[in-house]
Amino acid sequence: MIIQPFTDVNPSFFGMLNQGPLTLTIFLHTVLILPMIWIYFDEKKKLQNKK
Amino acid sequence: MSNKSASVWTSIRFWRRSAAWVTATAVVLLMWLTFDTVKQISMGSDEDLKKGIRKRIPAPTVINYHIDYKFSKKRGHEVPVIGQKEPFFGKEWSPKEAAALLHKGKLTFQAKACIDCHTALGNGAYYAPDLTKAWLDPKWNNGTMTAMIGKKTKEEAMAEFLMHPDKYPTHGRMMPNLHITKDEAIALVAFLKHMSSIDTNGFPRNFSINAKRLKGGTNAH
Repeated sequence: MIIQPFTDVNPSFFGMLNQGPLTLTIFLHTVLILPMIWIYFDEKKKLQNKK
Repeated sequence: MSNKSASVWTSIRFWRRSAAWVTATAVVLLMWLTFDTVKQISMGSDEDLKKGIRKRIPAPTVINYHIDYKFSKKRGHEVPVIGQKEPFFGKEWSPKEAAALLHKGKLTFQAKACIDCHTALGNGAYYAPDLTKAWLDPKWNNGTMTAMIGKKTKEEAMAEFLMHPDKYPTHGRMMPNLHITKDEAIALVAFLKHMSSIDTNGFPRNFSINAKRLKGGTNAH
């Protein structure tokens, strides 16, 4: 199960992310890298338009 | 040729935007994590204890309560269970008194360099038993230590042990006499009792299993 029930003492967003295989690491990489792919294609479009 | 000139990888703007994005996101996330951590490690209040609200670190007045350590099926490890009130050194300590006592205990713990041999909350050495859950060690509960030391209650036995550890060698080892005074010993016992009530996500692992296997004593093997 990718999402597991929250079992920590104090509820917290990062605590929720750390339950099971859906780890903080995967979340952080998603948050950082997905927009970078958008930045890549955006820049590519700009370069081609300039040319 | 025309494709090569349009390469994004050589574009300074692309790297600049990426770096700005990563830096800004990291700053926001780290700030968020900092505040989240502060919330997690903040000590609860006496009111929380009275209302039964569980905090990772309970208020100093937790020394007025019975503390148990039970396996939680939901969480997959043992968790401290704060039970009914019980007198600590024959009295109930007010929030102010309890806080002062715990502070004295912490200072004594530092002054006597307990972590030169012991471990507390993951810090220290593994020469002597782990003190994180020392208060819950069954050896103090089933009367072995209390009988050996000749005291009626666990806290009195622990305080006496701390004042004259060289008289009571355990686990084939002997703690040196650190010339701990009675007041310091009482404060240290309060410090240890409070520490045992901290929810450490099951650390040290298999505490009760090991304690049973070794007939008391935590990691003293």
